[in-house]
Amino acid sequence: MAIVEFKHVDRIYTSGDHKLKALDDVNLTLDEGKFVVILGQSGAGKSTLLNLLGGLDSPTNGKIIVEGKDISTLSNDELAEYRAATVGFVFQFYNLVPTLTVHENITLVKEIAPNALSATKMLEEVGLIDHIKKFPSELSGGEQQRVSIARALAKNPKILLCDEPTGALDSETGVMVLKLLLRMAKEYGKTIVIVTHNQNIARMADVVIRVKSGKIKSYEEQTNPVSADEIDW
Amino acid sequence: MFFRKLWRTMGLYRSQFISMIIMIALGMGVFVGFNMEWYSIQRNTEDFFESTGYADYRIVSELGYSEDDLEKIENITGVDEASRFFSVNVDVKDHESDTLTLTVTENENVSGVFLVDGEEYDENSKDGIWLSDKYAEANDIEIGDELSLVYSGVIEISGTVKGLVKSSEYMLCVRDETQLMPDYETHCFAYVSPAMYKAETGLSYYPQINVLSNMGKTDFINAVNDAFGKTSLVLTKADTISYSNAKGVEEEGQTMGALLPPLFLLIAVLTMVTTMHRLTAKEKTQIGTFKALGFKNKRITRHYTSYALIIGVVGTLLGIVLGFFIAWIIINPDSFMGEYFDIPSRHLYLPWFCILILVAVVGLLTLIGYLSVRQMLRGSAAEALAPYTPGKMKNMLIEKTKWFHNRSFGTRWNMRDTVRHKSRTAMSLLGVVGCMMIVVCALGLRDTMQSFVHLYYEGATNYTSRIYLNDEVTDDKVAELKERYEGDVSASISVQIEDKAISLDVFNVTHDLVRFPSEDTGYTEIGDDGAYICMRLAEEFNLSVGDSFTVSPYGSDDEYLLTVAGIVRSVSENIVITDDFAESAGIDYTIDSIYTLTEKTDIESDSAVKNILTKQSIMDSFDSFLEIMNTMIVVLIVAAAVLGIVVLYNLGVMSFTERSREMATLKVVGFKDKKIRSLLVGQTVWTTLAGAIIGLPTGIGVLQILINMLANDYEMKMTVTLLTCVLSLLLTFGVSLLVSVMVARKNKYIDMVEALKGAE
Repeated sequence: MAIVEFKHVDRIYTSGDHKLKALDDVNLTLDEGKFVVILGQSGAGKSTLLNLLGGLDSPTNGKIIVEGKDISTLSNDELAEYRAATVGFVFQFYNLVPTLTVHENITLVKEIAPNALSATKMLEEVGLIDHIKKFPSELSGGEQQRVSIARALAKNPKILLCDEPTGALDSETGVMVLKLLLRMAKEYGKTIVIVTHNQNIARMADVVIRVKSGKIKSYEEQTNPVSADEIDW
Repeated sequence: MFFRKLWRTMGLYRSQFISMIIMIALGMGVFVGFNMEWYSIQRNTEDFFESTGYADYRIVSELGYSEDDLEKIENITGVDEASRFFSVNVDVKDHESDTLTLTVTENENVSGVFLVDGEEYDENSKDGIWLSDKYAEANDIEIGDELSLVYSGVIEISGTVKGLVKSSEYMLCVRDETQLMPDYETHCFAYVSPAMYKAETGLSYYPQINVLSNMGKTDFINAVNDAFGKTSLVLTKADTISYSNAKGVEEEGQTMGALLPPLFLLIAVLTMVTTMHRLTAKEKTQIGTFKALGFKNKRITRHYTSYALIIGVVGTLLGIVLGFFIAWIIINPDSFMGEYFDIPSRHLYLPWFCILILVAVVGLLTLIGYLSVRQMLRGSAAEALAPYTPGKMKNMLIEKTKWFHNRSFGTRWNMRDTVRHKSRTAMSLLGVVGCMMIVVCALGLRDTMQSFVHLYYEGATNYTSRIYLNDEVTDDKVAELKERYEGDVSASISVQIEDKAISLDVFNVTHDLVRFPSEDTGYTEIGDDGAYICMRLAEEFNLSVGDSFTVSPYGSDDEYLLTVAGIVRSVSENIVITDDFAESAGIDYTIDSIYTLTEKTDIESDSAVKNILTKQSIMDSFDSFLEIMNTMIVVLIVAAAVLGIVVLYNLGVMSFTERSREMATLKVVGFKDKKIRSLLVGQTVWTTLAGAIIGLPTGIGVLQILINMLANDYEMKMTVTLLTCVLSLLLTFGVSLLVSVMVARKNKYIDMVEALKGAE
């Protein structure tokens, strides 16, 4: 069952007289519960795609339907509600609030998410329960990314959006984070969309979408995705 | 959660937050303090005037007033109360060179006393003296002590000190208008009852009726003239020393309150603009993260706006405390104002408009915070997530010149940074200009006061002693004393120009013991060609040399048309003429003062001598005036230094943070710490130089405004010495370089790898 649909979506950035078409007539359907990897070189438009899906940005043209609702026409406040309830973000550089502890970074989402899960439980899940009182700066990169995943999942979103989640990590930590993402997604029944330029991660995906020059170059469903342990970094 | 983040973020940016709070506290403190000062003086003096029945009008006649006359005044509709009043300067027996103004009021509700200690004033007491508590304290006189007061060396009134009092009539207790500050050790006042006055002197002479009335001046004068059937001399409150000086101090305070504090507040608010912008810019990624997480703009805005609100509220509260402290420093009993005005209570009052402005400033600061975060929230969540990037570099016009390309790398780097971060540069410049301006203004005020002292008391007052003569002295006696003491002489006639009461001083100067400062820094030789008026009168009545005006002696219908022959600077508001000119104009006068080089101790006791004032006593009173002025100047200079340090340090730290990536790059390339430090200090030197160049004339301009505002009380000529300019420059550069070196030292601790990690 489709959870996301992109219909003739354009995203054009204007800077003075210069116009840049980051997405050009994108049509796309993503099914619920799938692990989707969007691949592409730098500037291909993959992050723009993720931003539009996450309600961080709005398309210039076209429609984006999530759970049957067009999010392309939502107001700022409605988009904020959408982000709070439907999507969870995992960023390349974690984007944790440095002045809040690990636990507080997660409980923060309770203030906005209607179906938030227990922060402590999430921290147990990502194996950081012993670091509950630490500040982000006291954690390693991998640990910070795990907190970021815990925070994203704590909102109990339908879709987990990850922008280069292993981009700032070494291979060993990267594998660990990917495994965690997969396990958590399966356990909590989430749709995961990962944007990366790392082709190897694509081998783990149910669906691989390749983006080039703002267009969908290919859409491939994989019947036998490999586990994180099997991929070459 | 946001609440905890708030406090931790404040801890993270503590130097910015602390400096902002200091700036706001300083701005608010100076604002509140200066305005509280004049407002508290107004309230305290008004309360004092009210409680002691300070007369609204004084009807004066040297012939004196009878009880019938008093009744006529009391019968005027609109007169609340009236009292026959007598005052005269007397010597204090066994207290050499001390004088007291002996005062008698028939109705204690009018021009009465405020009891500090001892018995209540008793109008029937025949041996009681109610003495100024200030004089008693300065001379170790206690209740129960005997005191003898001697008038003209002839009449002696003796009694017991029954009460220690204050009187609004002598709130500013000086011998005469040449004395700027009271000297409670040698001159003050004492009250005796009408009964004792009569019993001891056999007189019932009251040359004045003091009146409490809400009537308008013209109505009152008309009513008095009707009651007496002739023109009478009526003085209003504004013609009296205590009242006019209280009003003068209030006006000066209002002026100071309107001049300096807005500058501090302006710098504080502008610094807030820069700081809040930088702070939210640094937090931009977090702002974006909150947005990405699903927080609404309203919530994020509220959180970041609360930083500004907290800074505003904490700064304001500290400012109010500082303001109370500043006001108390100014008006406490040991301060200049404490010495100047002898008042019973010194409560501090916060004017209502201060509260309004404090609230408005907090509102403005909050608005600044709000606008700063709105700017960072602009656009989509994806845009908000991107780190803040300063404006793109554009080539400056100057870059097309050969001159620019011949500059060193450091100069070009600093010039580009200045252009790229215009607001930060402008704020640094403003901080330097403010610091320089205040220092120039403060030191210039000192120069001006010293030049004022030099002009009047070292240049114009060439005598050692001034002998005051009795009213009944004969011309022969005057001639004898003049010859004996090789003196110059003068007479003072109380006259009116229109409604204004002033002194017409007739001089015969043959020994150059009295000189008259001219409008520039020299002295005017007064001639027999007309009247020489002081600058205040010239200004008030719009008179220039060659113009004519009419004066009328008190209590007479005579009028004299005088022509302005020159304009002079004077301590008191007066007109100066020569004795020859007075005689040619038909003006009657009686010599009342002889100026001599003879020491007071060498002047023989004589019934014609009322009392003797030494130049030293005038100089002493002025020294304390200067001493207090110096304290205020030190306070101003400290405030200027704090202002400079806080503004520059705050902006310096911001600049350093913003440029840490650039500096890390330079370090990676191979620049040594010392070289990078010199680049940073170099920029400060240029900013400081520019600020000092602007600050010097601005400071002189502000000083001129200040002196113009003080012109109602002192006819000073603005003086700014070269030393002041040099000291101001040294201080400003000192502050600026100190801060710059403090900030530049941080360069040593830049982690090249970390600094280069973040994206610009």
